[in-house]
Amino acid sequence: MRQRKHIAAVIVLVLLIFIVLPSIWASRAGAEPVTVELPENHPEQDDPLSGKVLSEAVPFPTPEQDTCQHCHLPGEITGMWTPLLRWILFGSMGLIFVYGTYRASSVWVQRKPWKPLWARIVDWVDERYDIVEPMLKILKKPVPLFATRWMYCLGGITFLLFVVQCITGVMLAFYYKPTPEEAYASIQFIENEVRFGATIRAIHHWSANGMVLMVVAHMLRVFITGAFKPPRELNWVNGTLLGLLTLGFGLTGYLLPWDQRAYWASTVATEIAGGVPQIGDIVLVFMRGGWEVTAITLSRFYAAHVLILPAAMIILMGLHFLMIRRQGIARPL
Amino acid sequence: MTEGETDREEGTIPFYPDHVTNEAKLALAILGLVVAVGILALWFPVGQGEPADPMNTPAHAKPEWYFLFLYQILKYLPKTLGVILPILGLMILIVWPFLDRREDTKRARRMRVILSIVGVAAIIILTLLSELP
Repeated sequence: MRQRKHIAAVIVLVLLIFIVLPSIWASRAGAEPVTVELPENHPEQDDPLSGKVLSEAVPFPTPEQDTCQHCHLPGEITGMWTPLLRWILFGSMGLIFVYGTYRASSVWVQRKPWKPLWARIVDWVDERYDIVEPMLKILKKPVPLFATRWMYCLGGITFLLFVVQCITGVMLAFYYKPTPEEAYASIQFIENEVRFGATIRAIHHWSANGMVLMVVAHMLRVFITGAFKPPRELNWVNGTLLGLLTLGFGLTGYLLPWDQRAYWASTVATEIAGGVPQIGDIVLVFMRGGWEVTAITLSRFYAAHVLILPAAMIILMGLHFLMIRRQGIARPL
Repeated sequence: MTEGETDREEGTIPFYPDHVTNEAKLALAILGLVVAVGILALWFPVGQGEPADPMNTPAHAKPEWYFLFLYQILKYLPKTLGVILPILGLMILIVWPFLDRREDTKRARRMRVILSIVGVAAIIILTLLSELP
């Protein structure tokens, strides 16, 4: 108890010397206003005879004006950079000093080694929710060596590309407008006006192609190594559905630029789907929202591309990963 | 690993940090590739064609490259068969594990390798054929 009082006195003293006294001194120094005598016929003054108002055009700060002394020193006629840099320099030094004092005093008071803030936060959460041990158990799960061969990375690459597609897709959706009148112009805007719009669009475009390739490669790997054999049948079915969803993304996304190639590719693709006997017409009308590729087709392809397919994809991916986790990676022959 | 199969079969590495580190290296490489594609796009953008015009059918209306083989099948077969066949193939692919339930053997795996090579080659040839004219 005695010692604590002593520490408190030290902290108060330190605060007094390093913060309170300098502040008082600074406010004293700033209290004396800098006055500049204006000449009698100052050109910057308003002229009531001609009706000219010159003072409105005067930029801030003029030599005659005192700068705002919250940040500027008295008589310091500069822009924002000098006081800003001073704030950053001395401010960070001050923060480091305060943090160091806190840390040193904490070690001194508690007689225990210093524990970083993040470790304390982890401890605090772990005390209440008991998550560290199960997390470690999950994270430390042994991976068999055969699963570290290069062929086993293809599914992971597909997932990574899906994440890339999600991020770039959201970025494109900020600017894209899914109507026939505006779709083409909005893509043009993305390509030419938006900062790095062409970059984002190219990444989305080429990653989509890469994702289709990776899906096929992953599927071939699973097929050839026999990873679909019991007990993993359902995961194979799930995977084929994921592959179909990827193709669905390709199909719906291809129409969105609304240029000739996109329009006629979608016409042809939906025509193929419309060739199914018996239900072909229904499928065709359902996909196009009518007999022709129109504005309705564009909006429903857009809805499928940004809402339905991603939702289905994420659910099926979650199941895919859960099943892999539960059953482990198939041992090849 | 001179001991051979036993070491190899029982050998594992922890998911964290060993496996995660490997995967992170690969992910960084892929992301580097993605960024490189993005940077190249500053000089070679994806670009746009003519605005869509429902009244004006271009000479070669084609679907995306991964649907081209389906499109090419339609040229050789009557319409109904040409659509049914890929759907049938897809159905078989989906239920494949329920058809092929025997214990895996080297011979079966060789068959699967041949089957996938033939399938992929057929798709590639059909795709190329539709690109030729």
